[in-house]
Amino acid sequence: MGVAVIVGTAKGAAVLKSKDRKNWDMSFELRGWPVTASARDDGGRTYAAVNSPNFGVALFASDDFADWKQLEAAPRYRPEDRGNPEHHRLVAKMDFEGKLKGGGRFVDQIWTLHPAHGALYAGVSEAGLFVSRDRGDSWQPIDGFNEQPGRESWFPGFGGLGLHTILTDAKNPDRMWVGISAAGFFRSDDGGKTWTRKDESVHSFGGNCVHHVANNPEKASVLYRQEHFGVYRSEDGGDSWQVWEDGLPVTEMSTGHRCSFGFPLVHDRKSGASFVVPLDGDAYRFPRGGQLAVYRSTDGKTWHPLTNGLPANCFAGVLRGSMAGDQMDPGGLYFGTTAGAIYASDDLGESWREIASGLPRIMSVEAYAA
Amino acid sequence: MSVRVQLPPVLRNAMGGHRWLEAEGTTVCEALCDLGQKHASLALHFFDEQGQVRHNIVCLHGGGLVRARDMHAHSIQEGDELVLTNALAGG
Repeated sequence: MGVAVIVGTAKGAAVLKSKDRKNWDMSFELRGWPVTASARDDGGRTYAAVNSPNFGVALFASDDFADWKQLEAAPRYRPEDRGNPEHHRLVAKMDFEGKLKGGGRFVDQIWTLHPAHGALYAGVSEAGLFVSRDRGDSWQPIDGFNEQPGRESWFPGFGGLGLHTILTDAKNPDRMWVGISAAGFFRSDDGGKTWTRKDESVHSFGGNCVHHVANNPEKASVLYRQEHFGVYRSEDGGDSWQVWEDGLPVTEMSTGHRCSFGFPLVHDRKSGASFVVPLDGDAYRFPRGGQLAVYRSTDGKTWHPLTNGLPANCFAGVLRGSMAGDQMDPGGLYFGTTAGAIYASDDLGESWREIASGLPRIMSVEAYAA
Repeated sequence: MSVRVQLPPVLRNAMGGHRWLEAEGTTVCEALCDLGQKHASLALHFFDEQGQVRHNIVCLHGGGLVRARDMHAHSIQEGDELVLTNALAGG
């Protein structure tokens, strides 16, 4: 079976296809659109989220990775929904003369798409959760999350208030988790009606700036978390967290706290291995010394560097949504840099190859058996 | 009255590659509303959650530039051509 990798960039989507995960063909789709997220549902339809500072947010869908049709609906807030002032300030939701547009709440980006239990979920900024139960033809806000008390005081991360992580439990449709920069990590046990913060003992500075969280939906309560301030693991659905940095490069952050900084965290379900891409702290946000390195943990305890095939002169970053596994056996891994290079491994990270370069800034990567 | 509206390149894909669309209206904003009613995907791009024309959209009409905030009051005539684009950005 082959693989398709959808690489969302600031100017379109690179679609890389391979039958053997060694030789790749590439096409460039959705030209002109920043492609911020993608996902494929159980029926084999692939969705790509686009946004534009001029023309807003939209979704495209394709059944063959080549012919993309725009859907006639997308997640949107209601006219009466009130926005978070700090998010407005950060994302410059201004009019033509630079004045704030008022108190409305706007969807300015789809950060993640997550198919589960026959539905398609979307995480957006200004932070919110939406669901479609008709393959994107209509979207409903999950008010239990979006309208919860306290959202007006959530503090945004550098990129605004983005709901970038959605996780589900294959055995329990009522349980799900979401992560927001920098409002924290939340869990619902009643199908989205009520939510509880799950950040206990995770180092924070103001709010909890969760960067990315992964799980295996079949063993959903084991959670793997890359936080702004370090890497953590939970075995109880987020009720408690343990620092998980043995073997990772630790750096002094701008606050003086010492931890391992990075954005994506990918979990390979068949092997149980996890992968992160450490960067040299929040002040630099590129690989330490320019050596691009992926770190792998196979035992849930210690991490080991993997650099075979990765450049020693890389001063680009890897964003939170820009790494993915294809969940094949053995697991293939793919990640892209802000400098437009894509690296792939078909042996759980033991060796890497650059399979594309010269792309615009890479914002999202997803991989599918195809 | 009927006018022709030229779409910006990134929106043409949603309209099957068409560059020009026919619209009805007596103001620029009415023409955009008409297109949005005919094509739901265009409404997403033209109007934000408050129902306002997205603030960075501009229209070239009769040799002049019409900003989003002025589109509801800017009159158009039968047979006019409107060129939709975004405000200049970048260096």
